[in-house]
Amino acid sequence: MVLLCLASLLWFRNDSRIDSARSVAADATAWMYRMATAPRDAWEELTDFFTARAQLREDNERLRQENLVLSGQAQQLAAVVAENARYRALLNSAEDINESVLVAQVIAITPDPARHLLVLDKGQRDGVAVGQPLLGAEGLMGQVVLAGQTSSRALLITDASHALPIQVNRNGVRGIVEGTGELDKMVVRHIAATTDIVVGDLLVSSGLGGRFPPGYPVAEVTEVNLKPGDAFATVTAKPMAALDRGRHVLIATDSPADAENP
Amino acid sequence: MNRAHANWVIYTTLLVALALHMLPLPFDWRMFRPPWVELTLFYWVLALPHRVGIISSALTGLAVDVIDGSPVGALSLGLVSSTLIVLLNYQRIRQFDVLQQILAVLMLVALARTTERWAHNLVGLPPTGAEYLLPLFSVPILWPLLRPVLRGIRRQWEVT
Repeated sequence: MVLLCLASLLWFRNDSRIDSARSVAADATAWMYRMATAPRDAWEELTDFFTARAQLREDNERLRQENLVLSGQAQQLAAVVAENARYRALLNSAEDINESVLVAQVIAITPDPARHLLVLDKGQRDGVAVGQPLLGAEGLMGQVVLAGQTSSRALLITDASHALPIQVNRNGVRGIVEGTGELDKMVVRHIAATTDIVVGDLLVSSGLGGRFPPGYPVAEVTEVNLKPGDAFATVTAKPMAALDRGRHVLIATDSPADAENP
Repeated sequence: MNRAHANWVIYTTLLVALALHMLPLPFDWRMFRPPWVELTLFYWVLALPHRVGIISSALTGLAVDVIDGSPVGALSLGLVSSTLIVLLNYQRIRQFDVLQQILAVLMLVALARTTERWAHNLVGLPPTGAEYLLPLFSVPILWPLLRPVLRGIRRQWEVT
């Protein structure tokens, strides 16, 4: 039995022959998660239902204003996108992928505290595939690692086994930011001591590796620790996206799915 | 009839334990999630070692691994090694008083979790600190409560 366990650990871990079993397991467990979180959801619906009328009016007013501001900005954006496309045509470079996104609901966070995995309610049937990036309102959140028919699992960028290529928005310095297993901390390794990177710099995805679309905000540098004599600075960053709040995330479904595992 | 009946009770308690394992917790508390599945499983192995043994514990571990999305077989390995110890010592552990039993169960859960962590490192997941042992804090409170409850269930449905 011990040998069987070891076999399942070592041989079947990356075996593509059991992919279908994996997706079935993903759906089955998503269903179980729905059951397990049903009491909480029911409670939330109940409190939603009894939200005061005044509160709703207030929300409505605020959202209306927000909508106005955002649609104003969107008009500008259309012009900028068109302009950008023309420039790219002039430069003979490939056009940016025009991404279509899908709103998914977070069903649950998996119980293992050492890993940051979300269970989402959209699957292959909705166009989700392994490798697609997960976006929040404020920035990049993670990527899909397992897609079932009607549900999927996504790994957050703060998971200790996750790393993604970034660049500093201010000057384009490239690096790789890794998760640490803590929700509000990531590290950029192997930044040479003389590199121009300071606290407050915005790190955006660089698009290298082909998995994540370029230009999405990832994290903000919170600490640059350089000991005299060290070849590399220790750069700590805080993820932009609110990884532990909110029930909805975006999945960019047009991205090149399943490139090489990062 | 009676046998099928009995199995049904065991499966149900394990499923309830799994549901408790999946219950949403506030994010900061999730380090402390009580080891419901392990405790329930160890109770059944202690009470009915001829019925719940290595294979049941391996399957339970498998279920938890699939639910957690962690490498399949890691917790199985841990639970199998702990269950083996229970199977070899169940007569002794049954005679323990509450404190001794808590200690024994603490050791068993710790062994299962440590083996799981070891297996995770084996397949290349990055190592974590000793936080994975934080759920053990709930064992001294839960075991004395869970044991009479499960015993009541066992006697109520005459699980043998």
